[in-house]
Amino acid sequence: MVKMKCILVSLVVFLSVSVVQAQFDDKRCKCICPSLSSVTNKTEKTHTERLMQTTNDPPNKCNCEVVMLPRVADKLNVSEMREFCPRCECKYENRKTTIIRYVVIIVIWIISILVVYMLFLILLDPLLNKRVKGNYQEHTNEEEDAQPGPMSHNMSARGNVLNRVSNQQDKWKRQVKEQRRNIYDRHTMLN
Amino acid sequence: MEKFPLKQTKGPPVSPSYQAVNKKYTNGHPLENSQSSSRTRGFTDDEMIDINTNSGDHRHTRLEDEDGISHYSVSYGGTSDTGADIPGIGQYDDFHTIDWQRDIARDRMRHRHIVKKKQDSFWNLIEGAHDAWSGWLCVLLVGLCTGTVAGVIDIGASWMTDLKFGICPQAFWLNREQCCWSNETSFETGNCSQWLTWPEVLGQAKSGAGPYIISYLIFALWALLFAALSASLVRMFAPYACGSGIPEIKTILSGFIIRGYLGKWTLLIKCVGLILSVSSGLSLGKEGPMVHIACAIGNILSYLFPKYGRNEAKKREILSASAAAGVSVAFGAPIGGVLFSLEEVSYYFPLKTLWRSFFCALIAAFILRSINPFGNEHSVLFYVEYNKPWMFIELVPFILLGIIGGVIATIFIKANLYWCRFRKYSKLGQYPVTEVLVVTALTALIAFPNPYTRMNTSQLIYLLFSQCGIANSDPICDYNRNFTDVKSAIDLAAAGPGVYNAIWLLIVALVLKMIMTVFTFGIKVPCGLFIPSLCLGAIVGRIMGIFMEQLAYNYPKNWFFSGECSSGDDCITPGLYAMVGAAAVLGGVTRMTVSLVVIMFELTGGVRYIVPLMAAAMASKWVGDALGRQGIYDAHIALNGYPFLDSKDEFQHTSLAADVMQPKRNETLSVITQDSMTVDDVEGLLKDTEHNGYPVVVSKDSQYLVGFVLRKDLNLAIANAKRMVDGICGQSLVLFTSGNPPQTLGPPPLKLKKILDMAPITITDQTPMETVVDMFRKLGLRQTLVTHNGRLLGVITKKDVLRHIKQMDNEDPNSILFN
Repeated sequence: MVKMKCILVSLVVFLSVSVVQAQFDDKRCKCICPSLSSVTNKTEKTHTERLMQTTNDPPNKCNCEVVMLPRVADKLNVSEMREFCPRCECKYENRKTTIIRYVVIIVIWIISILVVYMLFLILLDPLLNKRVKGNYQEHTNEEEDAQPGPMSHNMSARGNVLNRVSNQQDKWKRQVKEQRRNIYDRHTMLN
Repeated sequence: MEKFPLKQTKGPPVSPSYQAVNKKYTNGHPLENSQSSSRTRGFTDDEMIDINTNSGDHRHTRLEDEDGISHYSVSYGGTSDTGADIPGIGQYDDFHTIDWQRDIARDRMRHRHIVKKKQDSFWNLIEGAHDAWSGWLCVLLVGLCTGTVAGVIDIGASWMTDLKFGICPQAFWLNREQCCWSNETSFETGNCSQWLTWPEVLGQAKSGAGPYIISYLIFALWALLFAALSASLVRMFAPYACGSGIPEIKTILSGFIIRGYLGKWTLLIKCVGLILSVSSGLSLGKEGPMVHIACAIGNILSYLFPKYGRNEAKKREILSASAAAGVSVAFGAPIGGVLFSLEEVSYYFPLKTLWRSFFCALIAAFILRSINPFGNEHSVLFYVEYNKPWMFIELVPFILLGIIGGVIATIFIKANLYWCRFRKYSKLGQYPVTEVLVVTALTALIAFPNPYTRMNTSQLIYLLFSQCGIANSDPICDYNRNFTDVKSAIDLAAAGPGVYNAIWLLIVALVLKMIMTVFTFGIKVPCGLFIPSLCLGAIVGRIMGIFMEQLAYNYPKNWFFSGECSSGDDCITPGLYAMVGAAAVLGGVTRMTVSLVVIMFELTGGVRYIVPLMAAAMASKWVGDALGRQGIYDAHIALNGYPFLDSKDEFQHTSLAADVMQPKRNETLSVITQDSMTVDDVEGLLKDTEHNGYPVVVSKDSQYLVGFVLRKDLNLAIANAKRMVDGICGQSLVLFTSGNPPQTLGPPPLKLKKILDMAPITITDQTPMETVVDMFRKLGLRQTLVTHNGRLLGVITKKDVLRHIKQMDNEDPNSILFN
């Protein structure tokens, strides 16, 4: 069951990953400069705004001369250009969108599986348990670590596995119930 | 990995060689032993002589040991042997204290066995090598997993946090910043075509009253959804995942067993719940729970290595290293993590563990750094780089910040504890999920209007820490600067109206955050305390920094600035004040000093600010200690009544061991005699009393001590013997001696020497409690036996010590959680 889930999850992850456009780059060069008015003393609107430019230049070309100057070249004269650039901040950054993509999708899947399982435990499990309880009771004693025999064949092995899974689940439920009693009812822990 | 390392060994299935020394001796002197046991009836001088010869013989066997095997081999010979024989021996029940001495001795035995076996075959040599490096391998794996999990949490939380505001339709997995990453052209936050806010998704305009209300509502709804999911997942699958976890980790590391606290489900739910609760916008952080997560990873991985998984004392070495890795990824501060583990959480921290913690923290930080979750080449969102000098005179405001931080921290601790106590004893505690929902709803409704509370707390801290440069366009940087001077891009400038506006908003944010955090810390979702307290301090610090900066701008010639600000340079950095303030409040809340300063300077990437940070941390700790005795974690340990014997407190009362020991007057001590009780007698004793261990004496009249046997071991051994050995019935004698029984009639005896601890720590009844408490702390005892004139008088357990301390401090001694 768990394995099936795993396969399903990975399948869906792969499907959803393959639909991606390569629009979001993994590196950028970002330059921020003060407004042109700091060197030109003009007060037109184009001169009083701070400037920002992002390109995907390589790190060695990530500087104001390559990134910013072509954009403002028509508004500045040569001496102003020389003054303008030292005030800019250029930063080369990289990131990994692939990792982000995988991680977010996996997180969504885990949360949805947990929610589904929680709803199952809340809504369906009481119903199922009520029906099974009659012939199930005798199994719950100390056979938790009973190993399946070496000669058990398909059918019995499957039954054993199922039994063991449900035994484990019961054990786990008991533990959680105990934890819940400690915390929510008796308030002996984690207040 | 094999589960039973001692079982797999090749060769004859006799007991290992160190045991053989013991056996040889017993085989060599069977006569003497049977004599001794036959003569134990009554209290005679002969008996004393007999005991003496017995112990003399023990010493003799030690001398026989040529390869330097120490004395424990005799006394603990059985324990490790039976560890493989009877399943469950050497493990502890839920809510029990571990016996460090016994576990460490057990490990020494195991190690000696492996060393001895090494020469036998090549396979054993490999096994030995594997054993030697398994500690490093284990912490390597812990580091790898912790780094990865931290990366997942960081990415998940930052994405989900921004989901409250909008979505990136072309690549829904990107958060706002990442969505606009490569197409950013303007400073306006809304001016990014890729990122759509929820009103835009619904086809509304970008701004205006309608869209504002829509985004307000959607913000609150997402917050409620996340918080509800988090609370119900925690409640459904792993209630132990709630809270910060550091008080519990401290208790566990001091030698307490909480089964399931570091289990798989707790790990999974804590991770998922943490992502959800952080993104719900509650005033909480993910740093404290990260320590719990790392410790859970350490616990789970230690089961791959039987050396650690099956020995609670050894496992705590791995857990200490994991705690270091947790802080390392939480703050991107590996050294700070190691020091945090040493200063705050660990109880037993030998040098070996220090190096392993160092390695573990390094690996974890490296992995997280290479995942690069925030796209800023660092492992925390609020990493800032500073290289501004500070003036000596600035120490005055720094210390002032420390004092303010201490006061804020004390108010916070007191208020939070009051509220937690109220929750514990009132009806409020019965509605955990409702409480989470109410707190979230209120937080969301209050937080949204103020931009500083609306944004993610980590982002706010980053904003407060950072310098005002051309890249920073927040109102907090609205100075009248025009960047006309090329040399110093950032000069001292008059604050614009934006700054004053921001200060007011920040003050409101400070009050709100403070109140919200008081009510948030302790609700039943995973929640940490580091980020909120850092944030409180950063707000105070930033405001003070701006104040100082404006002072320097307006009065540059004042003596206070000693002329350093007259040149118009940027001589005061408000961001640095924010950092110092953050350190002060965090220091006041947690009472950390060294690790805090190291964490803070690792965050800023410069050692230049160690002195300001130290001054603030120290001042805040002093003020905090003067106003309230405990840090928040110790206070929560006391509130929950965990059996934590603090090694920082001193025991100053003049009581003696005889006052504390059990049984009190008019009660009898339950003991087991070494060779005259039947299985029925022992089982009756086990049924009638609830002690966790029983002293074994020569006879009830003489009360000469033989050893100590644990209840659990006794139960297991009797059950095991009834299953495995033929003829054991209720009338069988229980023998703790190594010889044959005195009478040969009747059912065969049950030999339990294997489970007997022959070297229990004993003290006399006149030992002052100061010494006893010291022994409990430093040796990590679980119990000690009290003798008078060489005869057994009583037992002192850790619980008795803790109760006594509580009683002496005029607190309710029955509040201690113990089984």
